[in-house]
Amino acid sequence: MSTQLLLFQVLNGLGNGMIYFLLSVGLTLIFGLMRFVNFAHGAFYLAGAYVAYAIAVAFGSFWWALLAGPIAVALIALVIERQLLRHTYAMPHEAQILITFAVALLFQEIIILVFDPLAKSVPVPAALSGIVFLGPYVYPAYRLAVVGAAALVALALWIVVERTKFGAILRAGSENAEMVGLLGINLDRVFMAAFALGGALAGLAGVLAAPLRGVEPFMSTEALGIAFVVVVVGGLGTLAGALVGGIVIGLVQSIMSTLWPEGAQLMIYAAMALVLLVRPTGLFGRF
Amino acid sequence: MQVTHFPNRVTLIVLAALVLMPLVMHTTLATQVLIFATGTLSVTFLLGASGLLSFGQGLYFGAGAYACAILLSRYQFHPVTGMLLATAAGALLALVLGILIVRRRGVYFVMLTLAFAQMGYFAMLAFKDITGGENGLSGLPRSFSILGLPIATPVSFYLLAVCGFLVPFLLVQRILASPLGSVLIAIRENEGRSEALGYPTARYKLVALTFAGAVAGLAGALHAISLGFAPPSDIELEMSQRLLIMSIIGGVGSPAGALAGAAFYAIVSEILSEIWARWLGLIAVLLIGIVLYLPGGLCSLGQRLASGFARRSEHG
Repeated sequence: MSTQLLLFQVLNGLGNGMIYFLLSVGLTLIFGLMRFVNFAHGAFYLAGAYVAYAIAVAFGSFWWALLAGPIAVALIALVIERQLLRHTYAMPHEAQILITFAVALLFQEIIILVFDPLAKSVPVPAALSGIVFLGPYVYPAYRLAVVGAAALVALALWIVVERTKFGAILRAGSENAEMVGLLGINLDRVFMAAFALGGALAGLAGVLAAPLRGVEPFMSTEALGIAFVVVVVGGLGTLAGALVGGIVIGLVQSIMSTLWPEGAQLMIYAAMALVLLVRPTGLFGRF
Repeated sequence: MQVTHFPNRVTLIVLAALVLMPLVMHTTLATQVLIFATGTLSVTFLLGASGLLSFGQGLYFGAGAYACAILLSRYQFHPVTGMLLATAAGALLALVLGILIVRRRGVYFVMLTLAFAQMGYFAMLAFKDITGGENGLSGLPRSFSILGLPIATPVSFYLLAVCGFLVPFLLVQRILASPLGSVLIAIRENEGRSEALGYPTARYKLVALTFAGAVAGLAGALHAISLGFAPPSDIELEMSQRLLIMSIIGGVGSPAGALAGAAFYAIVSEILSEIWARWLGLIAVLLIGIVLYLPGGLCSLGQRLASGFARRSEHG
């Protein structure tokens, strides 16, 4: 493998990995706080990607999608949490899984109803459609921007979780939610906020991924599978786990796609099986 | 899911349904219902008997279909041998993956079943020289004979599917009435306590997973034989989802729920798909409704009606 190719693949893997991180971090936050696994999380990613597509078609703008996507998905997540999922917190986790799975299925069918079942492409924003020079090598500007943007979001998220009162409540809630409630904190509100935040991040992942891989109504299933691999590799319930898991999976996929293109997707699941065998709780896992 | 006697009233009802089904619906549809009922039975058994929610039984269904298709089309195995080996392949795969995931509990377990089901699909795509990739595997015999009986007409395929469903169905009923069934139910109710009582719960769950993998593998093999080829959709995640939906709609409180769910899904999709292409959305709404308001599925509706009648006849 030449240096140019290797650099290209590592950067690609980093970019995909950062998108995988954004996709999975909401899943892991919500699980840490509520022990609730949201099988509709891939549908949030799907919704974000379709917002990007709709805005690109209607206005030809990507920047508005970057703003509207996360907000729209956060609102959708809020409505679903308030109207449906809130009533399932006391239920066994099988019921929660089945209901969120049904929600994901409903999302997919609504998307097909509104748009159509065909895959579509979303143009890369004009300002980032060129290439950049990294020393003697070239690289697409948009992919580099994705890495940068996701890194900024990761940093902001880390500050929120580690340095703010809301973050302290989140961390305390994932240790012992009941105790946090007894201390007079309105857990209901915290759950709501965590859900909206997780939804917004998955929506952002969808928007960022749309110009790279296009949109199609069945992408939520694949996204959910990848998010699960990331949290199993990184460990469920930790921010660092989602970040490292996302990057590891992105790199494995990207490097394998030059060595064995047909097997690249297979190898990320093999990587998961390997981690599971060696470290059942994942690299940073607590559960 | 608790069965104290075997055979019981449910056995009779199911036998009657198997006789009636080809009379009230197209024979080919009835065959498909039975094949999916067999696949669904593996989900129903896992969730109902041992509390294991599997999002990935389609993996074993697909593995069975592909194993059978490879043996029949490449190596000219007899379909019965192919089916038996496909059942063994489903069991073996479930055993190996089961060893990896059986100690993970709750949501972790469910996530892993989904992830491994995805892995199966990508493995099928990666090894397309063996599996035919997105084209599937064709070239299975359209007619053959078992013990001198020709299997070529729709009715003969239906009878083959009856055997394919009945054997695992009766086995599940027998297991549930046995000490093994009691231990599985104890694990479902309280795994920690069962462990404290000295039962190696992981090993029991592994037995349940392996058995369910065998049943799903058999169903997949039957599906490939009835279609004459193994389509990639047999190993897609959608298959796992479909089996799970059927099992929840039918209800996991009784192995008969698998048949009820598969029949309901097949009939509803047959009717709705002519009216509205996005009928799956309605199934999703129905699924939410069932989980919230009828956790026992259609089967519990039947039991409720039966106990209602019993009460009325006592009073009257």
